[in-house]
This record gives sequence, structure tokens and C-alpha cells, in this order.
Amino acid sequence: MFFHPKVRVEDFEAAAMVHFPALYRTARLLAQETAEAEDLVQEVYLEAWKSFHRFETGTNCRAWLFKILFHRLHHFRRRWAKAAKVEGFDNPEEQESIAAEPEVPHEIRDEDVLGALAKVPAEFREVVLLADVQEFSYKEIADTLKLPLGTVMSRLCRGRKLLRRELAEVASTYGIKPAKDQASTGESA
Amino acid sequence: MNVLTFDSRQCERIRRHLDAYLSNELLVETTGEILRHLETCEACARELETRTRVRDLVRRATASQSPPEELRLSIQRRLRETQPGFWGGTRQLNWAVALAGILVIVLGGIVAHEWVRVVRGRRIVAGVLAIGVSDHIQCAIKGHNYPEVANPPEVLRKKLGPQYAGLLDVVQQNLPGFEILEAHICSIPGSSRKYVHFITRGRGTILSVILTRNEGAQLPGGGAFRTVVAGHVNLYEAHEQGMNVAGFESRGYLGFVVSDLDTNTTLQIADQLAPPLNAALQTAG
Repeated sequence: MFFHPKVRVEDFEAAAMVHFPALYRTARLLAQETAEAEDLVQEVYLEAWKSFHRFETGTNCRAWLFKILFHRLHHFRRRWAKAAKVEGFDNPEEQESIAAEPEVPHEIRDEDVLGALAKVPAEFREVVLLADVQEFSYKEIADTLKLPLGTVMSRLCRGRKLLRRELAEVASTYGIKPAKDQASTGESA
Repeated sequence: MNVLTFDSRQCERIRRHLDAYLSNELLVETTGEILRHLETCEACARELETRTRVRDLVRRATASQSPPEELRLSIQRRLRETQPGFWGGTRQLNWAVALAGILVIVLGGIVAHEWVRVVRGRRIVAGVLAIGVSDHIQCAIKGHNYPEVANPPEVLRKKLGPQYAGLLDVVQQNLPGFEILEAHICSIPGSSRKYVHFITRGRGTILSVILTRNEGAQLPGGGAFRTVVAGHVNLYEAHEQGMNVAGFESRGYLGFVVSDLDTNTTLQIADQLAPPLNAALQTAG
């Protein structure tokens, strides 16, 4: 790193540490273990700090940090070589139908939701987290994950469906039966 | 129970957009179309409600995870440890650079001080030894105050006087290969200083052995200036006016061996002469 008279760690912390909870929660839901998530987040901050002199004030610090997070995460994942590969869902046109979708209970414990989310393959889970939890736009997600926009859309669609099915599985343990024939008929009040 | 029928193709089209609607990624026109459809289609409205609920459940569950405060503190600590400093390096690196800088300055100061001391010391040595060179040149070389045939020893002893006559044998015995042509007490015009001068010939040249009272000259100590230790006598050497000179301090005297022989030869001769001359000067007084 060269001479950067204006770079101060206080400035970096003010811009970046506010996103620490979001980064940690995302990492925790995508890494295999807590320790790995902590390592990941720490690496993200150290890497971001190293290149903070290139960061333009006023640009999206959160998106920048998440981009680093996923870069590191994919590096980790290649190393783990354990990420489940789910093929054949990258065409959004194939996804939608009005076939019956499983019901999801209104009251469900957070740990059950997290358990269901953990069962969704990582490449879908990460898109769901970025879109539904972090509320990134499709374009930002495509940029963060280095994916085509269409792939982001199809993975989000597929990820939400998989999650919903996992939640329905949880619902069955609560004694809630899956909805049937809701696609072709609807009941009025 | 009222069963509503609906246009399945329309519902299918709307549901294809529900994910984008949920993510607020639709154009205003498409959003309006969906909203109008949802007003009339309870099934699609319920589907949207379920999808929204799933999203909210994930948000709530995710938010329930508290990031460890220790991790935050650990990160902040590491950030501060690696803060770039003036040179852009880490704090540790900057400390190391600063310490190295101080070390360089201190060592530089020591080296510079030592260098100045050596230079000054050598100047002092050269200045003192220049006395012998000057005497040799003035009396032996320019003055040519020696005969072609050596004066007999008894003549030389007489010239030296009782105080220094005894030194003749010391010089002769310790200067193999050289013949003493002349020995006398020399005076310097305009100066009270006198010196005992042995003019010898050997190895194809004239060599002087000179002894003079030390009138306050102090040759510096230390190996940087002292070339040889002959017995308990320190030898110094210099090159002045085309002559090599080796000198030593001895009991209130300065002794010089001066010739145009090379440095090593001059030093070897002085090395052999200095200790016995030093001993003899004890009795010379």
C-alpha cells in the first residue's frame, strides 16, 4: 500500500462497521460453521481495509463489502468442494406454474426457519438472502455474485420455492397438512 | 363454500411476475396489472401473501442471530494494528521503520564520530611524523650532511656526546645491512629543538634514524593509528614528501626511521630498532 494521507481507520470503521451485523448473519447462513463465518467476516474487513483508499466516498459500501464477502465465500466454497450442485433451474420460464404450492404455517420458530434455510443449496440460498433479507436489487446481486441477471432471477425463484417446501416440511411436524388443489380453485370468504 | 373459477393462463402469467413484484423489480405498468389481478383473484392474492410471509419469516429468523461482540472487537483491533501510516505501511511496519531509522541515525552518528576521530588521529600522526621527514630531508637529503665514506665510530661518538654516544652501537647492531655514515646532534635554524641524527646507507638508499625530545606532541592511541607494536613500543607510519616514515614515542623522545624504502621495509626496520632504542634511552636520560 502506498502513501495515503487521507485514509484513517476511523473513517473506514464509520463506513464499514455499520454493516457488520448483516455481513455476519449472511456469512453465518452460508458458511458451514460459526468459526468459518467469523474467519470470513474478519477477512472481508481486512481485505476491504487494504483497498479502502480506492473506495469512493458516497458509493455503496454495503454492496462493496458483500461483493468481497462472496468473493471470499466462493473461494472458501471451492476449497470445501462441498457445495451441492443443483442443475436445470436457470431458466425462469420453466419455473412458474400454478401447480399447488405447499402451505407455510403462520407461526414457526426462528430456529426452524434457519434450519429450513440451511437445507436449501448454497447457490440458491445466497440469492434468497441477498434479495429477501439484504434487499439488494437483481442487478446488485448479479454484480455481487458475478452472475447473469437471468440466472439471478431463476435462482431466486427456485430458492424461494425450495425454502417454502422445506418450511412445509417443518409445518408437517407441527401437524399442518399441505394444501391441495389450491392452484385450480380458490375459496371465497 | 363459493368456488371461484379463474383464467388459469392469466394467473400463470401473473405468478411468473410475483417474485419480481415481491422484490420490487417490476415496471410500474406491470405492477399495476398485477394489483388489478390480485383484486379479483383470491388464489393469487393468497399466493402472494404466502410468499411475503416466507420472506418475512426469513428476515425475522436471520435478524434473530446476534453477531458476536468479541468478533467485532477483534476486527477493530486488527484494523487498528494494520492501520497504514505515513509511508502506507502497517503500524508495526512504521514502528520498525522508525526504529530502523533511529538505529541508522545512531549508528551513522557513531560511524561519523569514529570516522572524524580516525581522520583527526591520522592527521595528528602525520603531523608528528612529518617532523622526522622534515629533519631527514633538511639534513640528509638537501643538506647532504654525511660523508661518502663512513666516519669512524669514535668520531661519531664524539659528535654524539656522552649522553647519546651509547646509542651508536644500538643503532648499528639493530640495523643490519646499513652502514652508519654520520651521527650528530642537529640544530634547526630559528628553533630551539635539537635532534640526534644517524645517517645510514644501505639497500641503495639513505636512511635516517632520528631521535628528538618530545615537546608536547601526543600520538593517539588505538589500533586505527598504531600500525605495529614492537615490544612495548607503538609504531606509527606515514607517507610524507615522498618518504616513508615510521615513528614511535619513547621516554620523552620521539623516534623516526625515514627513507624512501617501501612502507613495509621501513616498518620492519623500525620494528627492530624501536625496542632497544627505547631501552637505551632510559639510560640516556
